[in-house]
Amino acid sequence: MAPVDLPLPRVGPATDLAPQPIRVVLNWGRRYSLWVFNFGLACCAIEFIAASMARHDFIRLGVIPFAPGPRQADLMVVSGTVTDKMAPAVRRLYDQMPEPKYVISFGACSNSGGPYWDSYSVTKGVDTIIPVDVYVPGCPPRPESLLQGILRLQEKIAAETLSTKGIRGKYAAHRTASAGEVTRGLVRPPTGASS
Amino acid sequence: MSDPASVQRREVEPQEWVAAAEAAKADGFTFFDWLTAVDETDAADVPGLDVVCHLLDASTPTSLRRMMIRTRVPDGATLDSITGVFRGAAWHERETHEMFGLGFEGFDDGTGRGLRPLLLPDGFEGTPLRKSFVLAARASKQWPGAKEPGEGEHTKPTGRRRVSAPGVPDAEWGPR
Repeated sequence: MAPVDLPLPRVGPATDLAPQPIRVVLNWGRRYSLWVFNFGLACCAIEFIAASMARHDFIRLGVIPFAPGPRQADLMVVSGTVTDKMAPAVRRLYDQMPEPKYVISFGACSNSGGPYWDSYSVTKGVDTIIPVDVYVPGCPPRPESLLQGILRLQEKIAAETLSTKGIRGKYAAHRTASAGEVTRGLVRPPTGASS
Repeated sequence: MSDPASVQRREVEPQEWVAAAEAAKADGFTFFDWLTAVDETDAADVPGLDVVCHLLDASTPTSLRRMMIRTRVPDGATLDSITGVFRGAAWHERETHEMFGLGFEGFDDGTGRGLRPLLLPDGFEGTPLRKSFVLAARASKQWPGAKEPGEGEHTKPTGRRRVSAPGVPDAEWGPR
């Protein structure tokens, strides 16, 4: 498949000079419409699910937990133990998310490897493969911790400038993979297989 | 620790391994649960790998019978495969092969591709569940917290003797 050019969406040529009210309005839209993509790998995912359910209910913060896939998501929450075998998949799905994108590392394992830091198979922190915006500590963290992490992320988004220079430098400058490279053909069933 | 009455244990020689599995299957233990190994290469008498196989007899619903068969394979030797008795043992033997480096003679899972890695990522070198496998994480990256009781900011040092668990890199690997 031929590579598809996917530039970062721009607000306009004068983004650096955009007046403060425009900045506030655009960042307001971004911070309260975080379609979240849960990368649930272990027990922390249960706490994430609890945070999305009725009691903690992070939809009231504008975090929408039903992104159809990484291509429609703004925020990835890596909750659980990332293993070296899973790491390429985490990276691949992160690359498929449209920019601007944010990552919350949820729990001790994805922050640093956690109790499995000595293991032969566990990645020593998801930040070794993707950039992380907010780290939520705990083993597993309570749902309230995730709410606090989301508030921190929203503060961070509110403080962003409209210039995409910083975002590009942080997220995309080191990345040259095109959409064609992270897509592969459909897998066909072997010929002669019975139904 | 004593076993519950429903558990039977058998210790067999490596050459009787397949025969023991066949006998257990004929005796009603038709459900193959799991097979794994235990690194006993530091044992005093016969250093080697303990291979353990757990079988169940679920024919009577309210009284499950369990059978543990164990054998000690000397280091470097191979064991006969029980894939001819229980087809489901193929995954377990592949896992035991990649984790402990133990060969299984006559392994056949129907594909003819032999004992190939099952779980480890591509290009992984070594047999990670052996005691001789060094967990290099401590040597390569500084752990941000305390590894032993008393190392933390807020705790007093204890008079506890430092024990070195198998796999922890020794002083040759550099300061940590």
